[in-house]
Amino acid sequence: MGTIELLMQGFAVALSPESIMFALIGAILGTLIGALPGLGPANGVAILIPLAFSLGLSPTSSLILLTSVYAGAMYGGRISSILLNIPGDEPAMMTCLDGYPMALKGKAAEALATSAIASFIGSFIATIGLVILAPILAKFALKFGPAEYFALFALAFATLGGITGKNQFKTLIAAALGLMIATVGIDISSGVQRFTYNSLHLFEGIDFLIAIVGLFAISELFFFLEQHAGDGLKKVALNKLKLTAKDILFVMPASLRGALLGFVSGVLPGAGASLGSFVSYTLEKKVSDKGTFGKGDPRGVAAPEAGNNGAASGALVPMLTLGVPGSGTTAVLLAMLISLNVNPGPMLFQQSPDLVWGVIAALFVGNLVLLLLNIPMVGVFVKLLSIPPKYLMPIVTLIASVGIFSITGSAIDLYFMVGFGIMGYVLRKVEIPLVPVILGMLLGPEMEKNLRHALVLSDGDWTVLWSSGLSIGLWAVAAAGLILPMVFGSILRGKMKRSKDGLVD
Amino acid sequence: MRITDRVFGVLLLILAVTYGYEATKFPVPFGGQESVGPETFPILLSIILAIGSLYMIVKPDEDAKWPAVSMLLELGVVCLVLVLFAFGLEHVGFVLSATPAVAFLCWRMGATPVKSLLTGGITAVVIYVLFTQVLELALPSGILGL
Repeated sequence: MGTIELLMQGFAVALSPESIMFALIGAILGTLIGALPGLGPANGVAILIPLAFSLGLSPTSSLILLTSVYAGAMYGGRISSILLNIPGDEPAMMTCLDGYPMALKGKAAEALATSAIASFIGSFIATIGLVILAPILAKFALKFGPAEYFALFALAFATLGGITGKNQFKTLIAAALGLMIATVGIDISSGVQRFTYNSLHLFEGIDFLIAIVGLFAISELFFFLEQHAGDGLKKVALNKLKLTAKDILFVMPASLRGALLGFVSGVLPGAGASLGSFVSYTLEKKVSDKGTFGKGDPRGVAAPEAGNNGAASGALVPMLTLGVPGSGTTAVLLAMLISLNVNPGPMLFQQSPDLVWGVIAALFVGNLVLLLLNIPMVGVFVKLLSIPPKYLMPIVTLIASVGIFSITGSAIDLYFMVGFGIMGYVLRKVEIPLVPVILGMLLGPEMEKNLRHALVLSDGDWTVLWSSGLSIGLWAVAAAGLILPMVFGSILRGKMKRSKDGLVD
Repeated sequence: MRITDRVFGVLLLILAVTYGYEATKFPVPFGGQESVGPETFPILLSIILAIGSLYMIVKPDEDAKWPAVSMLLELGVVCLVLVLFAFGLEHVGFVLSATPAVAFLCWRMGATPVKSLLTGGITAVVIYVLFTQVLELALPSGILGL
């Protein structure tokens, strides 16, 4: 069957009334989560996974619900960027540059609407890119043997810090910690107990959902407490929307360019959404700046937003076809797939095409729902933004705990969650990134399995890991991913910081 | 001062060595020793962690801002409250353990005691009803026995 037919079947799944309902719920929840300060997309999706899981939804419904949450969170992130000048997550940073000045000029509603449209264009184009590129990559990935997979996983860790990564050794430490946690439990291939210390609860290993919620949500609570940030922040008031077709046409070229650049940087390993929005903004500034950028030019809002959302959808290409996520949020999406017993990778496209294409179609539907939802309803979301964190964070913590408790119905999981919260707090203080820890827990079992397969086939000869041209190529990219940021990372970070600082004064 | 990274580097190094050592003592799997076993991957990891932690010791980054001791104590109390909530969940039930936990967190984040208690109580009851009645997810009712 051709791609188009498969996609049409996907739409048949995604357009059923039940799916649309889940897409709608997901879109609303996602926008809220993205908009709330201190939550962020990765956090939000992580909290909702155990809930979707324990409600006994079918895999397709859960996937549709959570992909809409993912898409929604990307939309929501810009609300706090524009109104509070605080990016919900790192990629939203560039949206502050022109979004906040627009809001200060009394054009907050226009800024929000422009970014909603640009986000839609970004996601839409990138999802089309996903439809075209994913099957090709999946076919190519069938050539991978165990040695190539091992190299690919190494590549995923090496490039996770991204080109803007700060200290590559800390990324390495984080990855090692995550992989170590993954080794706890009974070894699948030999039946040997590893690091269980005869505790029955550890035999099955540590559930990564507990780790995700602990590391992200609970440590966030600690940070809020420490910074006394309970009162929330002053935000710019919202005006009445006046947006004409001319305004939309004005930002169209910027959005299209941003979307394409974003998609490319989302697909490439190590680039990610941060670079996507950064490159889109800088290019747009080069192309069309006449001294208005940084002072509230709508194109300066559209370009990074399209880039950001384009990259978010682009990041799904390596995630779905190779099982290797490129960013924190896609890592959490991978966690969702694994907990639904869906193993992403080239086989996924052959074994459960209905599921893959259902998700892709759900992305289209979710984005349309979001666009229709966001322009009229932005006022409601803004109202919710004004709930002070001092009430919100405790409630979120409680809901997160309920989700974790519902996985096994045991309080021991909650003790682990608090433990991971402390670990997350300390790691963040020492500036060891959390995403590689999660990724390590997720990829650990597969990575070890492939290493052992490769070594068993070669009878213990380690050179098998770099004996094919493909694996040498992957190792080379991995090495570049580790070394390049050390050379260029500080230069790029300096540039991003300068363009942000330039705005403040 | 660049002491934080050094201290954590040492701690992580100890972890790496202990973890690697424990891995070498795994029992030989049934069927005899092979070229790769359950210990191969963990030993590889301990080497990677050791390299990373040595780097942290040799080239530490600038120190992070650690909160005052009183704040660390407060965070410790918050952890204790969360643990007590988990413990209470199984023994006195969801509503009775969630109410004080949420109220405490709100209070520590700067809400007034009355508003904190109200938030705690209302949230606990709403979530309990929502999850047990609407979403049909069992939460322990505990001694209230509703």
